[in-house]
Amino acid sequence: MRRESRLIALSLVLALVVAALAGCGTKQESTGGEQPATGSEYADTFTFAQGADPRGLDPALVDDGESSKVIVNIYEGLLKYADDSTEVEPCLAESWEVSEDGLTYTFKLRQGVKFHDGTDFNAEAVKFNIDRQLPPKVTEDMGYAGFVFGTVKDVVVVDDYTVKINLTQKNTAFLANLAMSLAAPMVSPKALQDNNNSVMEAPCGTGPYKFVEWNKGENVVLVRNDDYWGEKAKTKNIIFRFIADNSARVLALTNGEVDMIDGIDATVVDQIKNGGCELFEAPGMNVNYMAYNVTSPLFKDVAARKAFSQAIDRQELVQSLYQGYSEVAETILPSFVPGYDPSVKQVAYDPEAAKAGLAKAGIKKVHVIAYSNPRPYNAATGQSLATAVQGYLQKVGVECTIDIFDWTTYKEKVKAGDFDVAFYGWIGDNGDPDNFLNLLSDPDPTMNIARWQDPVYIKGIKDALAMPNGPERNAKYAELEKYAAEQAVWLPISHAKMLAGYRKGVDGFVYHMTGNTFLKNVTVKKAE
Amino acid sequence: MRERDSVADMLKYVVKRVLMVIPVMIGVSIIVFALMRVFSPDPAPIVLGQHATQESMEAWREANGLDEPIAQQYFSYLAGALKGDLGVSYYTKTPVAKEIGARFPATIELAVAAIIFATIFGILLGVIAAVKKNTIFDALGSFIALIGVSVPIFWLGILFIMFFSGVLHLLPSGGRIDVLLKPADVTGFYMIDALIEGNGAAFRSALVHLIQPALALGMYSMAIITRMTRSSMLESLGQDYIRTARAKGISEAKVIGKHALRNSMIPVTTVIGLQFGSLLGGALLTESVFSWPGIGKFTVDSILKSDFPVVQGIVLLVAVIFVTVNLVADLVYAYLDPRIKYASKREG
Repeated sequence: MRRESRLIALSLVLALVVAALAGCGTKQESTGGEQPATGSEYADTFTFAQGADPRGLDPALVDDGESSKVIVNIYEGLLKYADDSTEVEPCLAESWEVSEDGLTYTFKLRQGVKFHDGTDFNAEAVKFNIDRQLPPKVTEDMGYAGFVFGTVKDVVVVDDYTVKINLTQKNTAFLANLAMSLAAPMVSPKALQDNNNSVMEAPCGTGPYKFVEWNKGENVVLVRNDDYWGEKAKTKNIIFRFIADNSARVLALTNGEVDMIDGIDATVVDQIKNGGCELFEAPGMNVNYMAYNVTSPLFKDVAARKAFSQAIDRQELVQSLYQGYSEVAETILPSFVPGYDPSVKQVAYDPEAAKAGLAKAGIKKVHVIAYSNPRPYNAATGQSLATAVQGYLQKVGVECTIDIFDWTTYKEKVKAGDFDVAFYGWIGDNGDPDNFLNLLSDPDPTMNIARWQDPVYIKGIKDALAMPNGPERNAKYAELEKYAAEQAVWLPISHAKMLAGYRKGVDGFVYHMTGNTFLKNVTVKKAE
Repeated sequence: MRERDSVADMLKYVVKRVLMVIPVMIGVSIIVFALMRVFSPDPAPIVLGQHATQESMEAWREANGLDEPIAQQYFSYLAGALKGDLGVSYYTKTPVAKEIGARFPATIELAVAAIIFATIFGILLGVIAAVKKNTIFDALGSFIALIGVSVPIFWLGILFIMFFSGVLHLLPSGGRIDVLLKPADVTGFYMIDALIEGNGAAFRSALVHLIQPALALGMYSMAIITRMTRSSMLESLGQDYIRTARAKGISEAKVIGKHALRNSMIPVTTVIGLQFGSLLGGALLTESVFSWPGIGKFTVDSILKSDFPVVQGIVLLVAVIFVTVNLVADLVYAYLDPRIKYASKREG
């Protein structure tokens, strides 16, 4: 009696629940449930879906893009990037001066700025933030401290709103570093002191949004900072949701559960468009390239490298491999990086000349190595790229043998140097031309996989790094880029575009080439 | 007198089973500790990122005790774990207990929902299939069970999402609750917290988010329970006491419900207990597909990042649960079958 009646009762409850559900759709999901103020045509919640949780929300202690996208909405640095390039602009610093010798940077700070905990932003706060990432206080797990502040000697507070940063060597890229979303953003010193020098889960900056909560594995919730020093954010709540599976993320978008997604590739573009959503494409801060090993007897001469490059039709290659979601790279620098010069051209496709040149150089067999994984700059994998190149070379009578490795092993092989031709790529850190072009001058073969050590180029890179920002410095980088193209050490293949999907009615977001999403001006029209 | 004896026996049995947990836990901890250190890549470059140098990696290893002999590392870990200190995640730099605590209720909520679904429908289908043996109902039940065991969870999950979310727009495709409706954290189980708060909207939101993952996760267990119930019921129904019961003129519902079902439940209970353990494993895939914020997906990520303290912590926790659930299943088993006396386990 007791047992069966319990079973029946349970079944009844379940049946009731199911019946109740049939009546309740999930309409309120679309904009996060809270009812916006009546009369407004805009929703007061914007939901962004990304692939994973942030590593943490302390800009000094993280190194990943998922953290960075959240961080840029909570924190600000002394400088920031322009919305559509990597030129630096004032932010928490209103102006700055660089001394004659290029070793002292003096920043005038914006007054009346407060951190989210109500404390003042001032010169002491700047000093606190940088000192935290300099010896002796810096810890080994501050991934970007060395990159951003490695050339800083000390920080001097001149008065409440003036701060001087002394460098150990000339480094114009230092300004670009200060606009980065890692290491550079200013954290409330009080919050750091209260939280044992780590605000991974208690972020506190000066930005347009304040941190509300982080439900691990699920979402981070931000709310508008009504005491923001600049123009206030347009949408009240921002939710970053974490959806690991690519197709589930796309479905959440087309289903109206989220307003914008990133981390997508060409395979889901149709699904997004057919679902009535929009695709955002922008040039990415990366380069996908082929490198000759200049220490290999085959490619020590520029003529041989040129002839090999001439065999490859990059237009056709890029179109067929990336289907419009990568642009052919004529330069190493992406087009929005200062120093980019559209007149720079790589070795042009000319199969006849290639045939003659390769025959003259006596090249018949070439050893190529490639990686099997998709990379951010090469969604099609190094393997497909190598196979395509093999096809082009076959047409001009050269046989390529390809060895394929997984990415980790591949890096070891590249370092060991047993190859004639290899494929690689670079994702920019700070948007300064030096960050891309110094690769070819680096003595470390894991960075400079071509192992090219040209004294003219190395000196040029060193000089350019010390020159003040401006047309002259940009011209210097254009000249260096031309020189590298003439020497045909690399054959730049493509720059991968950044893709995001968003719902109709979403407007005002800045999806920056650094991979960050600035949501201060984002608005979402309410669904009709 | 006999009552007291049986209580004492029961107590002895429970104590013995609980004590047996200790060697199991030590074994599990040694295995996971060794496996992570032998087969996982070096965590230093993963933790320190692309600007790591040789010196910074060595300094980091030293700071985290990874330069010590492995036995010494193990004993200092064990000493900490006994005090409740599971260490700090290499990757997120947050205490492991806090990381697990933030995600664990989600996994339990999902697994409990899945096992409830699996038990109710599994027994129901199994009983129907047995009673209506060789009819269309039996064939249908067996067919559903066959699908349940054969279909991979992640694929089923994606199908569910495409159908219920993509086509019907009836259920959300992922997540645990509409975050702006989230109730105040009391138990960590959103449905219970919503009830405590008396927040109907939150309860409904938590419920609609739970349905799809619970169905996908519970499907396999449901199939196993259906099969077990069916065969066990068939066996019971063929027994003499059933014929006697029928001969006495007891109603068919009572014959099936009381006499046959109760006796068939012994093996089924064991299976349910074991299934609950395996659900924690299945949660790994389900959580990924439905973006369910539990420990399943977190475990995979942590293994890939060589985050030793997190993996060790989770494995230990799951081992404790597995052992506990099996213990409970054994106790229920003993309760269900009056013939099993704890005395018989004395020598075992």
